[in-house]
Amino acid sequence: MASMVANGNRDGRQGEALVLKGVDPETCMIVFKNHWAQVVKILEKHDPLRSNTSSNMAALGVIGLSSGGPMRFGGPIPGDEASAVQNYVEHILFLLMEEDAGQAGAMGPILEFVVMENVMERLFLWSLRRQFTDDMKLEQLKMYEMIVGQARQPLLHHKPVLRPLMMLLSSCSGTAGPEVEAELVSLLNQLCCVLAKDQSVLELFFHTSEDQGAANFLIFSLLIPFIHREGLVGQQARDALLLIMSLSAENQRVAQHIAENTYFCPVLATGLSGLYSSLPTKLEVPGEEWHCLHREDWLQMPTLVQFLNSLEFCNAVIQVAHPNIRDQLVSYIYNGFLVPVLAPALHKPTLEEVMTTTAYLDLFVRSVSEPVLLQTFLSFILLHRHENVHILDTLVSRINTPFQLGTVSLALFQTLIGLYCEDVMLQLILRYLIPCNHMMLSQRRVVKERDFYSVSAAKILALTPSCCSPEHSPPPLRQLDSILWSKGTDNSPNTGTMETEETFLEEDGSGYSCVIGSEIYLDVNYLHYLYNARLGISSCTRACQVWSAPYDGEDPPPEESHPHPRPRPPCPPQTTDPAPTNQLELEWDDSYDAGPVVSPEAATAESSKPPQLPAAEPPKHIQEMRRTAIMLVKGSYIEESDFQDDVMVYDLVAKKDARDTVTKGSKEVKAHVADHNSNLQSPLAEVGDDLMGQYEELIRTLGSDEAGTGGSSPVKTVDKEFRNPVVTPMEEDEVDFSSFSMDTPELEKQHSSLFGTKLCSGSTRSHSVPFTGPFVSVLLSRLENMLDNSLHVNLLLTGILAQLAAYPQPLLQSFLLNTNMVFQPSVRSLYQVLASLKNQIEQQASTKKDFPKLITSAQHCLLARESSLKGQDSRECSPLEAGRMMKSSPPPQPKTISLARTEVFATVLFTEFLKELAAIAQEHSILSHVPMEE
Amino acid sequence: MNLNPFWSMSTNTGRKRSDGEEQSGEQQQQRASPARPSFGKKQLPSIPKNAVPITKPASPAATAQLANGTHASYGPFYLEYSLLAEFTLVIKQKLPGIYVQPSYKSALMWFGVIFIRHGLYQDGVFKFTVYIPDNYPDGECPRVVFDIPVFHPLVDPVSGELDVRRAFTKWSSVPHGPFLQLDNDTALRNHNHIWQVLMYARTVFYKINTMEPLNPEAAVLYDKDVQLFKSKVIDSVKLCNSHLFDQPKMDDPYAISFSSWNPAIHDEAKERMFSHKRRPEDHHKGLQVSGLSWVKPGSTQPFSKDDNPPLS
Repeated sequence: MASMVANGNRDGRQGEALVLKGVDPETCMIVFKNHWAQVVKILEKHDPLRSNTSSNMAALGVIGLSSGGPMRFGGPIPGDEASAVQNYVEHILFLLMEEDAGQAGAMGPILEFVVMENVMERLFLWSLRRQFTDDMKLEQLKMYEMIVGQARQPLLHHKPVLRPLMMLLSSCSGTAGPEVEAELVSLLNQLCCVLAKDQSVLELFFHTSEDQGAANFLIFSLLIPFIHREGLVGQQARDALLLIMSLSAENQRVAQHIAENTYFCPVLATGLSGLYSSLPTKLEVPGEEWHCLHREDWLQMPTLVQFLNSLEFCNAVIQVAHPNIRDQLVSYIYNGFLVPVLAPALHKPTLEEVMTTTAYLDLFVRSVSEPVLLQTFLSFILLHRHENVHILDTLVSRINTPFQLGTVSLALFQTLIGLYCEDVMLQLILRYLIPCNHMMLSQRRVVKERDFYSVSAAKILALTPSCCSPEHSPPPLRQLDSILWSKGTDNSPNTGTMETEETFLEEDGSGYSCVIGSEIYLDVNYLHYLYNARLGISSCTRACQVWSAPYDGEDPPPEESHPHPRPRPPCPPQTTDPAPTNQLELEWDDSYDAGPVVSPEAATAESSKPPQLPAAEPPKHIQEMRRTAIMLVKGSYIEESDFQDDVMVYDLVAKKDARDTVTKGSKEVKAHVADHNSNLQSPLAEVGDDLMGQYEELIRTLGSDEAGTGGSSPVKTVDKEFRNPVVTPMEEDEVDFSSFSMDTPELEKQHSSLFGTKLCSGSTRSHSVPFTGPFVSVLLSRLENMLDNSLHVNLLLTGILAQLAAYPQPLLQSFLLNTNMVFQPSVRSLYQVLASLKNQIEQQASTKKDFPKLITSAQHCLLARESSLKGQDSRECSPLEAGRMMKSSPPPQPKTISLARTEVFATVLFTEFLKELAAIAQEHSILSHVPMEE
Repeated sequence: MNLNPFWSMSTNTGRKRSDGEEQSGEQQQQRASPARPSFGKKQLPSIPKNAVPITKPASPAATAQLANGTHASYGPFYLEYSLLAEFTLVIKQKLPGIYVQPSYKSALMWFGVIFIRHGLYQDGVFKFTVYIPDNYPDGECPRVVFDIPVFHPLVDPVSGELDVRRAFTKWSSVPHGPFLQLDNDTALRNHNHIWQVLMYARTVFYKINTMEPLNPEAAVLYDKDVQLFKSKVIDSVKLCNSHLFDQPKMDDPYAISFSSWNPAIHDEAKERMFSHKRRPEDHHKGLQVSGLSWVKPGSTQPFSKDDNPPLS
């Protein structure tokens, strides 16, 4: 039957249209009436009530539907009669479709007849009276799709057309058959298109009846179950919903209905949780170099693609929907996904799982574009506390893990810094710099000064190791270019800049060298850094125009702000206070007493729930919604056909049995968390104390050393000695997080333990202790180990630092780039770290004879790496292939040098990094005064 | 004049060539209003046509050859950026009636024009050139030379050079050689900038000083016979203005030249200059700014703005 309609639609219609073209309306009307009379004959023959008034019909319809099944009167209908009706109906519908509207928008005579005789409703009841199978539904759905899509006059304005349509739709709501679902969604999509074009229909769809109380927006409710569906059906449903969302932006009533009477937002948000739960908890990492999920990575993971589709949909909804819906959705995403799902996932027991979650989070942040949604993610990262620890603190501390987790965490921060978000920068760095107590008092007025004569650039470049100085071995030009570009193409979230870079590269593709006079060899490569720096700084400066303050040492004023104003969380009972006698501690251990400040909103959010409750347990109603959502996602939407109140649909859904899976899932999570807690806390308190003791001892020595020599190098050496064993490589990847925290005093554990103690000690600490924040400290610590770091870690590290240096805020600039700035003795500056690195390199170079040769090999190797990366870029159309290339073998090396010779690669990179920083410093000196370009 | 050729370090030949093509257009605008040189659009100036840089594809052999016996130096970069910084300062100062534009060929030579709006020299439009010593900032004070020697006690009647040195007896750029390290404070507070020289060049036309003149005749007249001095000044102003539309003295694409008003060319530029003022607001409304902030002004708390959607 269905196919008959479909075929008739295709073949018949064209013929019919041709025939109808010349026929005058009156003839059509006569034909229509004749056909209809035939149909009515058959219909009445099988109607036990022998009634043809519409009021009774309506009553019948309700009865028929509410009993949930097909109603049959007077036995089965013979097949020939059924097909006769079908034939007549086809003709009738063609005539209806082809009819033009009357004058001044009046109904055409056929439509008028259809309305008066209640044709559509009687046809619907007819199909109900027969076996109301999926086929029948399909047939009806297609019929409506055809007339709605192709009629030349508006049909939906008329209740006799609309009402049977609504009955049909609601009767299809619970159907499991995929064909019916597909057709239903397709029709719904079409209806939404009509709505979007003609808002007057909206009123009619919203049939409000005073006695029922709630407004009903059936089309919308029917679409909700398909939100997270894969494939075309899901896509059509989401498109249709988006149409309604943009409608809601202008129509308060729609917005209110969606926000108050539907489960749209909770389903959407908690559906993310459902989809997230089906993501792999451990990623198969292609190689050591891997640090973030690229497009070619996630394209191969269907579950992740599906999650991203839904996230993208949330993003789109937030973009177009009414603020009420937007706010509600954002709130559900926060409370229904980020807090109850992602937060525990970030604290899973094994390194791998945590790393995977971090990579997901990074990908999510990169995928979201709508500021409000981004804000939700960011405020989760910056302000949310999981088991009393700020997520941000945890993430920052993980930068220091010697495993891939550290690299992935770095990549996440690269993404965050690339957002040019004031709140992020404030929490990460600026809040520690605002008080200006990292510098000598006399230096405060210098903060805003510009470096007119490139003094800082010169000082930075003067750190170039002698083995790399161009005077010794003028490096092949392309080679050094390539290092620059490889950093550029490495996971830069800012695609805008990338494009310009590429243009520049092409223009200059042949790699010119320039000679001034006949004497001076100019480092052409440096020009590229200057150009790049200029692009970076100007796009950053432009982006930062929306910031609330210039951060120039005066605004915000240094006096009023204290770096640690956040209320101290209650001390965990198991930790003991080691009595902070010595204030001079290495900076980076302070990480945890200076966490983010709680905003009013977040504060209320936190106070509303008991602080001791593990955050892994979401509120009841959220759990409930999550359950619902997961069932919807898994396709277990049940067959129920009560269409009067869509809220009930969800109620019913919620009662269905799929509950098992969910409860099981959440139990697992809880178990994990429990494991995690016991692993981390019990043995750590002791080790932590012990460590604290060692620490303070060490610091005491450091303090005296420093006072004696006044130089920074002894600090570095001791410091390094202390840290080195920590970073000694264990076998990566396969290390279990829990065992890791059991045996040796590894970093992660130090942090955990320190955390406990610091929470208490922090409150007694004087606020004036100079401290530039955990993030800067951790970055500089890792940078100081540059010679031991693998190449990709160094690329990330230097990339992030260069990103930071491009920020125009004088506080940041003066801290990172002003080499003349005088800081407090306990504050480590980037320049100091670079200087110490230079010394390390010179030492290596002097002890190893073949060092210059190795340097050249490393340069060649980097060149090869670069060109292979570039090759991938040009073939972006086939990400799979590119992905394979990256994962397979390392690029060909002209002279073999093992990547394990990290010190050699680090030396080359160090030299390039100096140029990069110097170029940024120089560009700052001339850009800051120039009025904004277009 | 020794033109320091370090401009030619630009490798951006392809890019700059197109700039060169636009130069005629740019110049027209300059003529209409030399107000703001198109500084912001470039990173580095172009390679001059006559100073051909040795550019070649970096075939290893060639590179090695070139590199042999040469030494790298970032010195030119420092000089370049110091001058660019000076120039940005000049722009920032918005000196009344003074417009300058670095030469196409050398950053060490700036073309300028000064409009005198009242006083004895009222209506005078004097073109001049600033010569910056190539050991800047360690060298002497920059020199200012008027294209046509203005009748003025401090302007050399033959060379047209203004006596700048008397105002900057000690051109204190001392502390900031790139390799010198001095206390930052002293460096920043006590040094001189080129905009001060330009400012001085303007002041001399409003406050006449006859001490130790370069043009004794003018000095004597001013002290003894102001009326005659005045008439001589008027003649001098007339002379200068009559040469206003002459070809620039220096053959340089960025030299400042004047042309009479041509609506076809100048109206559009004028339009753009006036609409320029409205741009900052447009910028905030129209353009999608990529940066993000939810920090309430005056607060240092993240997400402190009032319009943040509640998350709980």
